[in-house]
Amino acid sequence: MALNSVVLVKQVPDMNAVKIDRASGKPVMGGQNVVSSYDAYAIEEAIKLKEAHGGEVTVISLGAPGAKDVITRALAMGADKGVLLTVPDPNTLDTLSVAQALANQLQAMTFDLLLAGQGSDDYEDNHVGPQVAELLGLPLVSNVNSVEVADGGRHLTLQRDTEDGRQILEVDTPVLLTAISGLNEPRYPSLKGIMAAKKKPIEQVAAAVEPAGDRITWSDPVAPERTVTGTVVQGVPAADAAKQLVGWLKEQKLI
Amino acid sequence: MMAEQNGGVLVVGEVDNAGALRPISFEMIGAGRPLAESLGQGLAVLLMGSGIGEAARTLGAAGANRLLVVDDERLRDLTSEAATAVLTQVIQNLNPTVVLVPGTTAGRDYAPRVAARLGVGLAADCVGLAIEEEELVAVRPILGGRVQTVVRMPGSRPQMATVHPGSFEKAAGDGAAPEPEPVPVELNEAELRVRVRETVQGGGGSADLESADVVVGGGRGLKEAASFGVVEELAAALGGVVGATRAVTDAGWRPHHEQIGQTGRTVTPRLYIAVGVSGAVQHLVGIQGSDYIVAINRDPDAPIFKIASFGIVGDLFEIVPALTAELKAARG
Repeated sequence: MALNSVVLVKQVPDMNAVKIDRASGKPVMGGQNVVSSYDAYAIEEAIKLKEAHGGEVTVISLGAPGAKDVITRALAMGADKGVLLTVPDPNTLDTLSVAQALANQLQAMTFDLLLAGQGSDDYEDNHVGPQVAELLGLPLVSNVNSVEVADGGRHLTLQRDTEDGRQILEVDTPVLLTAISGLNEPRYPSLKGIMAAKKKPIEQVAAAVEPAGDRITWSDPVAPERTVTGTVVQGVPAADAAKQLVGWLKEQKLI
Repeated sequence: MMAEQNGGVLVVGEVDNAGALRPISFEMIGAGRPLAESLGQGLAVLLMGSGIGEAARTLGAAGANRLLVVDDERLRDLTSEAATAVLTQVIQNLNPTVVLVPGTTAGRDYAPRVAARLGVGLAADCVGLAIEEEELVAVRPILGGRVQTVVRMPGSRPQMATVHPGSFEKAAGDGAAPEPEPVPVELNEAELRVRVRETVQGGGGSADLESADVVVGGGRGLKEAASFGVVEELAAALGGVVGATRAVTDAGWRPHHEQIGQTGRTVTPRLYIAVGVSGAVQHLVGIQGSDYIVAINRDPDAPIFKIASFGIVGDLFEIVPALTAELKAARG
């Protein structure tokens, strides 16, 4: 039996390129947009499962029209088709708005497995996966770092790390899984994959979405106050450096 | 009782796999108490799980006005569907103004589901909470912890937030010890579809990282897995826990769940000691919420020194053991 997967992906600013403006304390984004880190694990897992068990991988992203790039990348990695849910201004949406728009789209689709990243690099709410599961009435397993398929895709054995140790879980499909690092090694698109992606379909749909309104509001981001004294000890014997550090730790009441 | 008339503040505690209260349970009361006082309302604490009578009494004594207990074997693993059903029903009965959920693996699964079920906003992983003009004001880090945003939910009742572990003082108790109130809830078997077959102790431990007062992080400068002994000994001398950079976990020197940084855990300890860590941005975003950062590295130009409160340039294999010995001597 084939295992059909839908992967939820988000395009985010490259966190490595984010600079904090010293005067205003406000973040300045770099030019590049990328696939949110955990989403890459979700895409890779869907492709691996397709390679092992057959089936089709569909990638959905919600965003401004430019967010098509993350879908193209997933197609180049090996996904089969994409859906871009366009919204005029993603910044008016909270996680529930986004989850509702995704759930509306997913209701019309059939799949065995719904995959998402554990959270996004930019806002790090970790909400959209659980909220899509809730709105679709699906079971949820988060922080997944191992997936084993049994019974022709009808049953999954999953692993994840929690505060208590390694959990081994059993669930029947359909289910929503959120992926975390350690699940796999996301592949780089090959040249062949990049060429093939150009021929794969990306459907563009205006999202059925309602802004958050006064359900939740958020301020412009500001850097927290941070005072760094910046003592650096150099060129002294290890024992002396250690003594100085212990003295400093005592002064700061850290020991 | 005031809590019943005005809704009040509801905080949720949590027990671990062995039935012991997680430390964040006391932080939840520490976070919720000032909010209840600002609102002039009561503080209720909810504990759900299996075989939790003793833990509930301990938690109640930490300073709640009401102690709600849902003790059901189907709640042993706090799967998202079961916990969502319970918390939603408790909220519907209690009608609280504010609901705080621990930012644990389980809490971060069920809180968003509850918010979606109730159609309310949810502030994620908050490090600061206050009441202004009878509304919850929540501060949370975004963009890898480098900046913060202030969240308000004027159109939501209740106003919900998950609480970042280690961000609030633990409540010590004020002598009040409310009687446990068992709360009847309905759990629909058809909705309990995830089964935890087994929990292998010690395979994880990531929450220790997030709630730890002291974290010692090891980087590529350690050169091999065996060298982590010096990091472990330093962490032990400080009563802290060990973390690692992505280079280290990718090399297999340490397990993935110890990875701190953009694709790993975010830590907010009082003290972070970076050992042989150069300070790649991907790692820095995971440690910038630390109160104090100490760096030990042989390269004086390593970026880690730019954000370190105290730095030592030199050979970590000499400095770290000397530091551990000095700490032991200082403690007597």
